[in-house]
Amino acid sequence: MSSVRLYTEFFKGFWKDNPAFRQLLGMCPLLAVTTSVLNGISMGIAMTFVLVCTSIVVSLIRKIVPNQVRIATFTIIIATFVTIADLFLKARFPPISKALGPYIPLIVVNCIILGRQEAFAKKNPLGRSFLDALGMGFGFTLALLLLGAIRESLGSGSILDIQILGTWFEPWVIMILPAGAFITLGFLIALMNLIDERLKKAA
Amino acid sequence: MNISAHMIIVLTVVSLFSGLSLVYMNEYAEPLIKINQEKAMKEAIFKVLPDAKDVEKIEQDGRVIFKTVNEAGELVGYAFVAEGSGYQGIIKIMVGINPELEKLTGIDILESVETPGLGAKITQDDFKSQFKGISVSPGIEYIKAKKPEKPNEIQAVTGATVSSRSVVNILNTTVKEIKEIVKKIEPSGEGENE
Amino acid sequence: MNIILIFIAATIVNNIVLTYFLGICPFLGVSSKIESAIGMGLAATFVMTLAATVTWLIYHYILVRFNVPFLEYVSFILVIAALVQIVEMFIRKTSPELYRALGIYLPLITTNCAILGLTLFMVLREYNFLESVVFGFGSGVGFTLVLLIMAGIREELEFADVPEAFKGAPITLIISGLLALAFMGFSGIISTS
Repeated sequence: MSSVRLYTEFFKGFWKDNPAFRQLLGMCPLLAVTTSVLNGISMGIAMTFVLVCTSIVVSLIRKIVPNQVRIATFTIIIATFVTIADLFLKARFPPISKALGPYIPLIVVNCIILGRQEAFAKKNPLGRSFLDALGMGFGFTLALLLLGAIRESLGSGSILDIQILGTWFEPWVIMILPAGAFITLGFLIALMNLIDERLKKAA
Repeated sequence: MNISAHMIIVLTVVSLFSGLSLVYMNEYAEPLIKINQEKAMKEAIFKVLPDAKDVEKIEQDGRVIFKTVNEAGELVGYAFVAEGSGYQGIIKIMVGINPELEKLTGIDILESVETPGLGAKITQDDFKSQFKGISVSPGIEYIKAKKPEKPNEIQAVTGATVSSRSVVNILNTTVKEIKEIVKKIEPSGEGENE
Repeated sequence: MNIILIFIAATIVNNIVLTYFLGICPFLGVSSKIESAIGMGLAATFVMTLAATVTWLIYHYILVRFNVPFLEYVSFILVIAALVQIVEMFIRKTSPELYRALGIYLPLITTNCAILGLTLFMVLREYNFLESVVFGFGSGVGFTLVLLIMAGIREELEFADVPEAFKGAPITLIISGLLALAFMGFSGIISTS
């Protein structure tokens, strides 16, 4: 029975509680870095890393942190892991670090991370918190990937810099502009609402 | 235990751990980051001065100028970073200039936030290669929709005149400054190369 | 001249919400009423200006001086959180009226990525002290402006016939997209030539 529960802990982040599409959290990196698939994936990995590490630490120290200073404590832990991720990218993958720019440090204020600590890690044991964080991280990465794929294919005619649409295709410049990010995300969320409605009716 | 003492202890311990791990991480990352930056800078310099093999960094009047030499140790030109505002934000350009300070050897856009598909075309080779061998005296000029005829003319990108004009203006202003500075650091160097 | 350019760029050309996607959360959540948009905007502008001022001093006089710039993120976020607390306490003590108007928006501002975002941009762009203060203030004004426009549109939207699936966030995002397009019309005015 408990294995079934653990399984849902991991997969709820993909659809039911998808942080991006369902909870509308972490919008700023979602919109900002998805001009290409590569940027989207890199951001997703960085986010997942910070989320998982923070959840592990918070879950471990959850019993000794006084309630009044929990937000401050969580924030310090998050900022520490974000700095580690940022320094690592700068040292090992400078082009990615340059492309993502200030959006890596901005993970600090990403509501998904603090949100998961408040809603989950501060009251759940290590294993569960780990799975929850991993699931949420993957769910968010999936959202980044999807948005990145749509915007890169329509905006530049390529996926991962490989040209997939022929020369006949005139790229829709708007897709890689900020406006395209807002509009694509709007339509994606509407589409998810629509699918959900259908599923509910069918059930 | 007293609650406020508890709070202070927890916060202090967490901050201490945070600080220590960051110091440790920084020890690892800092040298690598420095190497990366230098490598990126050198690559950009060699792009605009293809004959260059070695670089010497000179700082003068708040400007950084890279003096480059070829394998034989002969001066091949100077490189510098020019910066100014474009259509939407700052444009940063790496510029190479020949030893006589009369012709550009090439440019490379390091940073720009121009509109993708329009202004961003200034980062493409079609536009950039026009600056190879262009004469900078009395100044670069841009023309629209026809092929350049004079040695100091380039053709602006169609639909992105403002971005093209910005690049030209940034180059003209900075080249003037750099000329003055180079004359200062190498008062004797001028006659030798001619 | 440079100062004016930075102000214009921060308010309309490179608007913090519409080009950098910062501060989207309150933008999607709060901005359905004009009054609350004004409250939120004023509180944010105040904190943004203050945050830019204080973090600039901390970055240049503490982090750079003691050669620990890698503590930038940790210290900035703590400074912003502390700043919001102090402002809240100060306003509550000195002006209960103002507190009633702005009070509930202040805690929300700590996690507003626009504040941390602008302090990061300030460091990245190597602004000097005056430029940073103007940049902080300009970003706040830009944030308020967009929040107000959005609130106005959403008040009208209540009477519009929006398809079921598009209600709420989707239609707001699409409107933001159109606004971002409209704001692109401002680009070019900062070009100095």
